[in-house]
Amino acid sequence: MSIDVADIHYAYGSAPALRGIDLSIESGELLALLGPSGCGKTTLLRIVAGLEFPQRGRVAFNGRDVTDVSARQRHVGFVFQHYALFNHLSVFENVAFGLRVRRWRLRPKRDELQRKVRDLLDLVQLGDFAHRLPAQLSGGQRQRVALARALAVEPEILLLDEPFGALDARVRGDLRRWLRGLHDRIHVTSVFVTHDQEEAFELADRIAVMNQGRIEQLADPQTLYTQPASPFVCRFLGEVNELPVALHARWSGHDEADVTAFVRPHDLDFVPAAAGGARIESVRDLGPTVRIEARHPALSAPLVAIHERGRFGGSGLAAGQAVAIEARRWVLFRGEQAVTEA
Amino acid sequence: MSAHLPRKSSVALRDPRWLRWSLLAIALAFVALFLVLPLLAVFGYAFEKGLDVWRAAVVDEEARAAIRLTLLVAAIAVPLNTVFGVAAAWLVTRYSFRGKGLLVSLIDLPFAVSPVIAGLIYVLLFGKQGWLGPWLADHDVKIIFAVPGIVLATTFVTFPFVARELIPLMQAQGGDEERAAITLGASGWSMFWRVTLPKIGWGLLYGVILCNARAIGEFGAVSVVSGHIRGLTNTMPLHIEVLYNEYQRTAAFAVASLLALFALLTLVLKQIVGWRMRRIAATEPDA
Repeated sequence: MSIDVADIHYAYGSAPALRGIDLSIESGELLALLGPSGCGKTTLLRIVAGLEFPQRGRVAFNGRDVTDVSARQRHVGFVFQHYALFNHLSVFENVAFGLRVRRWRLRPKRDELQRKVRDLLDLVQLGDFAHRLPAQLSGGQRQRVALARALAVEPEILLLDEPFGALDARVRGDLRRWLRGLHDRIHVTSVFVTHDQEEAFELADRIAVMNQGRIEQLADPQTLYTQPASPFVCRFLGEVNELPVALHARWSGHDEADVTAFVRPHDLDFVPAAAGGARIESVRDLGPTVRIEARHPALSAPLVAIHERGRFGGSGLAAGQAVAIEARRWVLFRGEQAVTEA
Repeated sequence: MSAHLPRKSSVALRDPRWLRWSLLAIALAFVALFLVLPLLAVFGYAFEKGLDVWRAAVVDEEARAAIRLTLLVAAIAVPLNTVFGVAAAWLVTRYSFRGKGLLVSLIDLPFAVSPVIAGLIYVLLFGKQGWLGPWLADHDVKIIFAVPGIVLATTFVTFPFVARELIPLMQAQGGDEERAAITLGASGWSMFWRVTLPKIGWGLLYGVILCNARAIGEFGAVSVVSGHIRGLTNTMPLHIEVLYNEYQRTAAFAVASLLALFALLTLVLKQIVGWRMRRIAATEPDA
């Protein structure tokens, strides 16, 4: 089921949370809403679910306007950040909840309900935990119960609010690969909220990067990384060096200053040079990579290069050494505007 | 290391021994003098002329009428305030609206106002010379000096107990489980019975027990609106006062001992429920 969001405005009292969101999500897609805390991504998710109602704008599922439809009628699976499991009910009853509260005509028969819940518990690999209470489960297990509970009502849209936020790093990695596999099997249109760019990149087909109530860029991970639409997107997707540069006419048609080149640490090189402007400040061995920081008198922030261990071996850089700076790839911005080659 | 740490810090925080002992002594003396001694006195006087006199005072026609009325009033006021309390707590914790602070303060009003004044308000409203008095008289409705007035006054005085107990509890719990239930297709009604009520159950029971204790023991407000008609509008506390004023000390204390027994029962129930609540809070998942 496709989702169309048009011109959504939302404010908590006088504090605007969303300022004009337009977003189209294709059927079967797995989309990430990525942004720093307070950017409005959770509010947008809740508006899609019908848990909040926008002051302006429309929400449509498969072209059908659902803006004024309640969460109960929208038929959307929602997984809450802190799971929101029913603590007084067993794992089995949590998953069965959505089936039991149906009107009796639509309620599955006893055997059918048993079979359905069992199948779902097997799907999330919790078949042996049916009679446990949520309090007796680990964080990752609770998250999977929450997922099975949301899937029990066979929603055509699945919304997940920071689904891995409360888990430790190892479990998080396992669970998100598992979730990607699950999505590839059941193809339910899914939207998840995260502030972790690595998570968004690993899971999502497309990513909407949000900032201060707006979508800064909507693209697939590769495009997002190689052609960021704004300095914000560039900075948010990981560490980046910002170098003020002067452009020659062959770039933009005429010479100009006030342009910044954004260079990722792995695209930056330090080359030993007698009269180089920068000086190596520290060399840190991080295991698979080596992190080199250098200072240039004209820049306030240190320059960072991260090299693979093998490549670093030969270059023989040490603290105090004078070096020249070489960039292999960069993105240019003039203020908020991207600068492209003329 | 970590096992030793708390001990060390408690040593550092420990007061001198003489101070601890004297504080303990003062507290115990206070409890003995103001709580235990009167309680013992109630039972002492109640049984001073033997079990038969006690039984005669309790099964007396007017005493039985007072007991019946007290139970009837509690049976009406407590369910009313349970419904009001849950509704008010729901409103305050689940919605934001203008004047919410005022509503929370108003819920506490019966705690702040003297019960006598509460009773007087109802006399001024519904009494013969009151605002609505003539209209009520025309329609042959009797509120003051009758059972409805006693129920009204008791309901007013015991209004805050359930709401006060539930508001902090529901605030701490948040509403995500309810939202989850709604997205799963539950109606408001089935969400309340299947999710909210089990969540707040013990807290609600705690509030109901306190509300009930106060409803049965209320004297001031009820005294103003009841008119002290024997066998008709005397509740147990009022009946005790009447007996005492008529120098029937043993009979007064016999009925009082029933109230005291009920108070002790309330304390035990309250302890059990409080213990259950703490145990549930302890096993609740942290996230």
